[in-house]
Amino acid sequence: MPVKFFGQFLLEKGIVTREALLKAVGPQDSTNLKFGETARSMGLITDADIDRVHDAQRSEDLPFGDMCVKLGILTADQLKEVLAKQKAGHLFIGEALIKTGAINANDLPKYLEAFKADQAPYVIDKVAIPAGVPDAALWEAAADLTYKMLSRVAGFTVRPGQCVLTQHLDANDTVVSIGMTGSVKARYLFSVSTNVRTLIARAMLNTDDVSKEQEDMLNDTVMELANVICGHIEARASQMGKEIEISPPEVLTDGVNGIPVPTGGKGLLFPLHVAEGRIEAGIFLEQV
Amino acid sequence: MKKVLVVDDSLSVGRQLSQIIAGTGEFEVIGPARNGVEAIKMYQTDRPDIVCLDMNMPVMDGPTALRSIMAIDRNARVVMITSLGGVGDKFTEALKLGARNVISKPFKPDEVLKVLREL
Repeated sequence: MPVKFFGQFLLEKGIVTREALLKAVGPQDSTNLKFGETARSMGLITDADIDRVHDAQRSEDLPFGDMCVKLGILTADQLKEVLAKQKAGHLFIGEALIKTGAINANDLPKYLEAFKADQAPYVIDKVAIPAGVPDAALWEAAADLTYKMLSRVAGFTVRPGQCVLTQHLDANDTVVSIGMTGSVKARYLFSVSTNVRTLIARAMLNTDDVSKEQEDMLNDTVMELANVICGHIEARASQMGKEIEISPPEVLTDGVNGIPVPTGGKGLLFPLHVAEGRIEAGIFLEQV
Repeated sequence: MKKVLVVDDSLSVGRQLSQIIAGTGEFEVIGPARNGVEAIKMYQTDRPDIVCLDMNMPVMDGPTALRSIMAIDRNARVVMITSLGGVGDKFTEALKLGARNVISKPFKPDEVLKVLREL
């Protein structure tokens, strides 16, 4: 089971129907106000303030509340008050499903336990990101999900190496790239040697013999694995309050020559030691 | 026999899904279409009973194709296939647009068949 949200878990398990879930999302939408809406409902900011904050956020990546403080719209104490009110009034999907009669209140703890057990394999271990790298928590999660998906989807036993800053990703037989935009501007790179690609293809195609497969199909299995990893990174980012969009994966034809970090950017390299060959994951951040 | 249109830009996922769906003899697989544009064309010509539609594709993504398919046939039975691990907003957005369910990658054959049988 991949990283997912409680509502999706309940739907996939057949505990609630699509219609029941949509019915519960309605009260959530009206109850769970955004920071700006909450602050406005408390009489602390105006619509004009909200526009000012949105304008400022176009040139500086700061959360709405922090930007309010920076612009002098709210004090630090008012920021805490709004966050506390937002948290206290939050309607979780489980509660919304009880409210709309889709599930019984007595059953909720049981479902939450099952969900927790389902998601336990995806709980993040600590991966050290070098100092000074923005969004370090997200890249820790990205590295951790890479290790876990390599193990769970492709069956590798992975020993992670130390994450280091790099100026380029070394040449390798197949290099897949996936763009990330939104809260972060980055590129996820996943490079494998030919024998690792074969093992990934076997796992992804669920067959022992891939000797007759074309190059396109073999490369596609590496792209798909990278796609699944990045999908999970996107989900984790969302849980951290960062919205990112991933582009469809592509094989870089110049991967055999190594990939340089873009000018002004930063490169994170995550070496992955496996017995079967060479795998590296890299995250190249644009203009940090 | 119900016709299932498989839509995924990934060759390997397209093949895997087709094998799972056709494997039991309960469904006939058409496609795979490789993007949203191909999916819409095939929906119009083949009128499948079910569409398995990838979320993240080049040319035209899944949600855009879903909108068009629902405009063609408001009773279309579309299941989104996603590697996006259940991103909350995208998940509920797909349901609001009319998707009947969402299957997360990596998927297991029995999970896929269970969802299709329930449609």
